[in-house]
Amino acid sequence: MITNIKEYITKILSLQKAFLAILLVVFIMALFNLNPKTHSEFFSSYNFIDLLKSNSIYLILGLGQTIVLVAGGVDLSIGGVMTVSGIVAIQLINSGVPIPIAIIICIVLGMAVGAINAYISVYQKTEPFIITLGMGVLLTGVAQQLTDAHPVSVDFSYSEDFLNLSNYKLFGQIPVLIIVMLVVLAVIYWVLRSTSFGRNCYAIGGDYEVAKYSGINVLRNKSLPYLISGMTAALSGVMLSSQLNAGNSIFGDVTALYVVCAVVVGGTSVAGGIGGAFKSAIGLVLLGLLSNAFNMLRIDTYVPYLPTALQGLIIVAIIWADCYGRKRKREEV
Amino acid sequence: MKKDNSDAILKIKNVSKAFPGVKALDRVSLEVFTGTIHGVVGENGAGKSTLMKILSGVYEKDEGEVVFDGNKVENITPIQSMNMGLSIIYQELNLINTMSVGENIFLGRFSEMGGRTGVHSKARILLDSIACKIDTQKQVSELSVSDKQMIEIAKALSFDSKLIIMDEPSSSLTAEEMHQLIKIIHELKNKGIAIIYISHKLDEIFNFCDVVTVMRDGHVIDTRNVNAISRNEMISMMVGRTIENEYPPRPNCVAETILEIKNINTKKLKNIQLTLKKGEILGLVGLVGSGRTELVRALFGADKVNKKSVYIDGKLVEINNPIDAINQGLAMVPEDRKLQGLLLQFAVEKNISLSSLANLTSYGFINEKEEGAISERQIKSLNIKTPSAKTRIQMLSGGNQQKAVLGRWLEMKPRILILDEPTKGIDVGAKYEIYLLMKKIVEDGGSIILISSELSEVLHMSNRVLTICDGRINGEFDPSQASADEIMAKAFEFA
Amino acid sequence: MTIQSIIKLIRNNLILAGIVVLVIVTSLIEPKFLTGANIENIIRQFGTLIFVALGMTFVIMAGFIDLSVGGIISLVAVVTVTLIDKIGQGPAIMIGISIGLICGLLNSFLIITSGALTQAEALFLTYGMSLVYGAVAQIYVQGVTQFLTYSKTSISLFDAINSGSIGIVSISFIIFLVCLLILYIVEKRTYIGRSVVLVGGNKVAARLAGVPISKSIVFIYAVSGVMTAIGSVILVARVTLASPVMGTPYMTQAILAVVVGGTALMGGKGSVLWTVMGTLLLILMGNCLNLMGVTTYIQYMLRGAILILAIWLDNRKQFSEGN
Repeated sequence: MITNIKEYITKILSLQKAFLAILLVVFIMALFNLNPKTHSEFFSSYNFIDLLKSNSIYLILGLGQTIVLVAGGVDLSIGGVMTVSGIVAIQLINSGVPIPIAIIICIVLGMAVGAINAYISVYQKTEPFIITLGMGVLLTGVAQQLTDAHPVSVDFSYSEDFLNLSNYKLFGQIPVLIIVMLVVLAVIYWVLRSTSFGRNCYAIGGDYEVAKYSGINVLRNKSLPYLISGMTAALSGVMLSSQLNAGNSIFGDVTALYVVCAVVVGGTSVAGGIGGAFKSAIGLVLLGLLSNAFNMLRIDTYVPYLPTALQGLIIVAIIWADCYGRKRKREEV
Repeated sequence: MKKDNSDAILKIKNVSKAFPGVKALDRVSLEVFTGTIHGVVGENGAGKSTLMKILSGVYEKDEGEVVFDGNKVENITPIQSMNMGLSIIYQELNLINTMSVGENIFLGRFSEMGGRTGVHSKARILLDSIACKIDTQKQVSELSVSDKQMIEIAKALSFDSKLIIMDEPSSSLTAEEMHQLIKIIHELKNKGIAIIYISHKLDEIFNFCDVVTVMRDGHVIDTRNVNAISRNEMISMMVGRTIENEYPPRPNCVAETILEIKNINTKKLKNIQLTLKKGEILGLVGLVGSGRTELVRALFGADKVNKKSVYIDGKLVEINNPIDAINQGLAMVPEDRKLQGLLLQFAVEKNISLSSLANLTSYGFINEKEEGAISERQIKSLNIKTPSAKTRIQMLSGGNQQKAVLGRWLEMKPRILILDEPTKGIDVGAKYEIYLLMKKIVEDGGSIILISSELSEVLHMSNRVLTICDGRINGEFDPSQASADEIMAKAFEFA
Repeated sequence: MTIQSIIKLIRNNLILAGIVVLVIVTSLIEPKFLTGANIENIIRQFGTLIFVALGMTFVIMAGFIDLSVGGIISLVAVVTVTLIDKIGQGPAIMIGISIGLICGLLNSFLIITSGALTQAEALFLTYGMSLVYGAVAQIYVQGVTQFLTYSKTSISLFDAINSGSIGIVSISFIIFLVCLLILYIVEKRTYIGRSVVLVGGNKVAARLAGVPISKSIVFIYAVSGVMTAIGSVILVARVTLASPVMGTPYMTQAILAVVVGGTALMGGKGSVLWTVMGTLLLILMGNCLNLMGVTTYIQYMLRGAILILAIWLDNRKQFSEGN
């Protein structure tokens, strides 16, 4: 009996930590709901949709990043791509370019940035961490230059259509943004799990040399993720601008780190070869859920800025626990 | 040497390959026949791995001709080589640890094999054909070395290989697993597959190879049937001189006990007890995985322990990490030189002074002159071949790198020196130098714990031999009296 | 000197060459470049960034990374400024620097206890802590920017730090030189300094050879924390205010400066001197572009471009050395 419980507990602990954390948060919120003083709209469908909506951008970013991480790379330029893309979309639309064309141009731009990142990191074998970081800085500068550091938005005559891009509610309830996010999730999941390219990414991330000797075109297969990451970043930039009807140059490298962090919390490894679409999504959802829960509990009004501190602590706690778990498995002192 | 009714599956004629500053292969010619187990021996630097890498498509030959299965081979990539029917199983094992068994077998051929389901079902069939029961969904990182080798063999079979090259396959296998491997090699031979078997372990060559090729300094010295050559002849061909003795005479030792392990208990080790005498070389024999490396690492404070009770010179000591161990006069030359012993990008000098730094420090500052003197001293006394003390140690040969690691520890004048596979991957000449060194160490009053997979090495160098099996010490022998078989039998035994 | 040996010399000292080229080109285009006023300006710019970057150098040399510097700058700034009225400037600065030290020790504690061995693990742990430190700063001042105020009769240390000078050399530059000297000696001649680069070279081998790993980790993060705190004080002196978000841009800038200087991101190779050169290059570039009237936005772009180029070229040099 005792060994059964022990086995059961071990099995639960071996489940994805981020998922367990989500369950914990939901559980705690349910407890809070029992007390009328701390009751909140946490479990309402309205909140659920709102939660998805505010995290869809990060999810789209994170899913593109997942492929890059699995293949053993990293893309810290996504903040910059997102910013520039959003601004370019707005500026194009304001000059009369039809919305679909504007979107395509932005995505191609994102792809181009990805191609440059890929060329220098993969073909020239340079450390992607610093290259994409530099690219992000560069693009942030571009964004500032394009907008003279002021936020821009779409002119009135186009704004309704543009806003509808993200915000139009299908079936009266679900914003397009969420649908787009789900589509991206499904696509990335399928790519990683069932395509040759996806499996090759796992191989390359697992062991570059072995993959090379097995006839996998490592250069090509390791480059494509950067293009995908650039495209998803560009897409998310357009969607974000559409969501707010505003293009802003402030996002920069902070976004990239947050997304990579969240994805790692979910279980996709920076070392490569490990992870997946759902794992990453869960990590992102966890962090978004926390933010949401804090809002619902109106912690802000008791101790302002506490949510960010708690979020940082949760990230540290999960990564720490992850490292510690690895340490325990190791024999070394 | 042509066998009756056999065709040469592989014909190598006058193949040469040069690297900057080194001629790795000089007009090498040999033939391998179907259904033969063809051994290849030679010191490090003889050219064996260069030749294999040319065959497998990693390197391109400078001149000469390679004909495989009747077809001339030029400018091939590794995958082309595999598709041709020539597979190679490297010592370091070419598998991706984070992926499943099935996917590893069909790496790079995911869609061709029909995606997820196709890959796993076909993998199952292949594994069953070599009587391997491993689950194809299992992650490779969870497998033992011998299981991983089975996967590599399955991979080779998946290409319908006609020739399989095995590079030092037995260095990490237990005798039981080796048995299994030999069985499979014979089965492959019966299917008509030719095997090139590279090994430093001459016993293996004599045990199951049909033919052997001896290489030295980029040349093929000779290719003969295994029963037409003696061990001494083979060694002298490998080394280029006759070696009267492979080993120096065994040193005498004092009766005084310097180290006593009353108990060590870890996840793997169960109630280890042993004593080490002053001036003694204690050999530790056990199959890989028996706990021999775990024992010395636990002693040295490198790994976690549950219980540990160690006495040096009769006094109880606390060793919780390598720094404690060093302070108690212990030293350890680890098993894997490249990963655990060397700082490859650093100079020879810095690698040698590594452990002595604390001794060279006063008020926080390092005495650099002393540091230079230390390294010069060791380079000279150990005869380390290096362009200068400031050369990056990566550039040195395996033997010289190992000597540098040894020099690092000798500088500390340890009372107890632990050597874990000290001559692995080192040529016969350098090996002998290391044996002489070991003798000198104990003559000067130090004691050595020697772990080695080469039984003859342990037998010839040790004063006493302990066998360790399944985490327990289960036998003690006097190597001058006991036979190799007796000792190995104990090492096999499961309590 | 043959052409070949000159080329080799340039390739081995790319950053230095870059600086020389920049100086020559700029003085030709903009005669204002070599004026005393401009040089004083350049010297004055050895401010916050160089301190943070110096601290970051050891961390990167050991094969780790410290992303908490942004949060530490903010926290040290707000605490120092709010304490001035209560305990005076000197003590407030001391407390501020101690906070930097405490944050660094906390970082190292987390890394050591979690058994984190890789740069990636350290990355996320310190990034998370940056959020925490920044949030603590926010909570401490309720999000309100604090302004430096001092009565007219008292001497202001901050004023001295910011605008005081001996000749054309500003006080902050002198503080920088002192720090650089100390750190350089530590790096080259001391046991702990050597341990740091050995740990970065091969953690496993270093440990088995008796190099103190934990001590080295504590050291690098403590140094980073203290240096960052000094940088924060200097920043406060310059802008006369403390905002709970003022540290954020410095994280990437510091890493850029270190890497541009030539310290290998993966550890085992580097020097504080190289970081100085890297920062000098960035400062000179900024100065040169300013003189030419280039906007800050384009400078930002160029910063990113220079970083990419610098790493790329350094990488190609490594390759040709037969790696």
